[in-house]
Amino acid sequence: MSLLTADDISISFGGIRAVDHLSFEIDPGDVFCVIGPNGAGKTSIFNLVSRIYPLETGRLLFQGRDLGRLAAHDIASTGIARTFQNIKLFDNASVLTNLMLGRYRHNRAGLLEQCLFLPGARRQVLADREKVEQVIDFLDIERYRDKPAGDLSYGVRKIVELGRALVSEPTLLLLDEPSSGLSPEETLDMIFWIEDIRDKLGITVMMIEHDMRLVSAVANKVLAVNLGARLALGSATDVQADPAVVAAYLGGSPGDPLSSH
Amino acid sequence: MRGGNSVKFIRKSSYDYDLRLFPEPEDKFWYALLGIALLIAPLILPPYFLGQAVLVGIYVIAGFGLMLLSGYTGQISLGHAAFFAVGAYATAVLEKSLPFVLAFPAAGLIAGAVGILVGLPALRLSGIYLAIGTLASSFIIGEVIARWESVTRGSSGFAISKIRIGDFLLDSDARLYYLVIAVAVAALWLGRNILRSPLGIAMMAIRDSQTAAQSVGVPLARVKLIAFALSAAFTGLAGALYAHKIQFIDPDQFTLLLSVELLVIIFIGGIGSLHGCVFGAVFIIVLPQAIAILKDHIPSYLAEQTGLQAAIYAVLLLGFILFEPAGLYGIWLKTKHYFSQFPHYQKGSQKDQKSHARGESW
Repeated sequence: MSLLTADDISISFGGIRAVDHLSFEIDPGDVFCVIGPNGAGKTSIFNLVSRIYPLETGRLLFQGRDLGRLAAHDIASTGIARTFQNIKLFDNASVLTNLMLGRYRHNRAGLLEQCLFLPGARRQVLADREKVEQVIDFLDIERYRDKPAGDLSYGVRKIVELGRALVSEPTLLLLDEPSSGLSPEETLDMIFWIEDIRDKLGITVMMIEHDMRLVSAVANKVLAVNLGARLALGSATDVQADPAVVAAYLGGSPGDPLSSH
Repeated sequence: MRGGNSVKFIRKSSYDYDLRLFPEPEDKFWYALLGIALLIAPLILPPYFLGQAVLVGIYVIAGFGLMLLSGYTGQISLGHAAFFAVGAYATAVLEKSLPFVLAFPAAGLIAGAVGILVGLPALRLSGIYLAIGTLASSFIIGEVIARWESVTRGSSGFAISKIRIGDFLLDSDARLYYLVIAVAVAALWLGRNILRSPLGIAMMAIRDSQTAAQSVGVPLARVKLIAFALSAAFTGLAGALYAHKIQFIDPDQFTLLLSVELLVIIFIGGIGSLHGCVFGAVFIIVLPQAIAILKDHIPSYLAEQTGLQAAIYAVLLLGFILFEPAGLYGIWLKTKHYFSQFPHYQKGSQKDQKSHARGESW
């Protein structure tokens, strides 16, 4: 059974269809990559999955649960974690606090327990901290632990945001342009991390990415979209060779002699 | 933790380290000293200053309430005078039939419930609109208090008897002082507990990025309402203590000016820090005294200007916002840093310190 099923999903803003009757399936263990030119509706797909936007048509099923029935803050508890294209961290708080927040869905301590910091609350925080330290170790960001997130470089902020998603121990991880703004070395690191996230942590990854080197290295399925609709779906090599995809990126129409190069 | 050229090392050996009430070993010593000073204060302070100390304690509690909502959750309120008034009137009315030990917590609960009522419509507002929304709510509550004469006695005011706990009568400022200090310490302890728990982290997350908070599973409406309820409850408890300190309340004591004073406490004290509530409360009580003393030493044409106090408030507030957004707590951190580094202090190391001052939670 597929992990995430998008069945005929759409959203429009004013007269513009950002996602236009799109369907796809993600299986457990996939690294599923969405590509497409600017404004193709890639991030809108993510915002539909995380319920920031309401579905206009169609259904989203995650492990058989209908995501459309859940509130935005309930998505995390189903096991979906995400990062944002324009990094959304808690800038006034330390890296450690940012990561601790990623554990929020696992919190079992009640209001009173927390207000009085009863043993239950302490146990909760210590267990969360244990997991957070594992992720800090995994991503090699020990030296930033106590720095305010707002003071860090772009690349490190990106990694901290990935960390915040990882500490929630998701089943499905949504990465919105993980390599944008990273140096070539940092992009190489990102490739290794995504492979480790899939192989060692067993997390299924869905990502939006422009860097085709990264896409070819890690993705086993690539979905190309333009104007909110599917252009092609398949392996990285197949999709890159697809005439419709080439046309969307380089302009012109399929069959145009220019676009075949 | 420290500036780049620090000569001090902190060796953490367990995750529990960051959860301790007093993060550094020497803190225990200083807080113990402060505790002793607070305990013996009534024995040495002249009566007038003791009365002022009671007011400082009350403002610490009220300021803490606003700090939870505005400083940590990022929801600016211009209406906290209303919760203060609800607490004061609730205790006054309830004590006609209930003993203080029941009426006092009940006043906090009632203020908290009013906080939820104000919070519900405010959930969809943010920034300046929220400020206006809370201001409007406080006008409504103020109007209700002024007109509901059968219960509140309206503008003729309400006289309040001294606090009686069992057979023990709190008939002096010294006795009231101990009660106020106990409540203030309990409030700050509760604040520290919240801040080291997931709830506190969720509050700060809402302040910094609502979208991201939602994406990690923070239920925005619920956490904001909890912040509103706790904030209003503590401000209400402060109001209840204030009623007993002044022993006479009428609707004119709880105006917009009081709401602004509470905001000044958290801004000048240091937004987003528990120490800030204390520094700010001391500041707001001491400043008028300082101005009164100052008046004797400046030319009479200046001293007799009516708006002198308001003007000094305004200049200080602007000064803090422009030059020291971390408030008095920021200055405190820098001073501490200066002495801990002496004589190696360098100007550049302030930068680290400043950024550290922004998030005091861990």
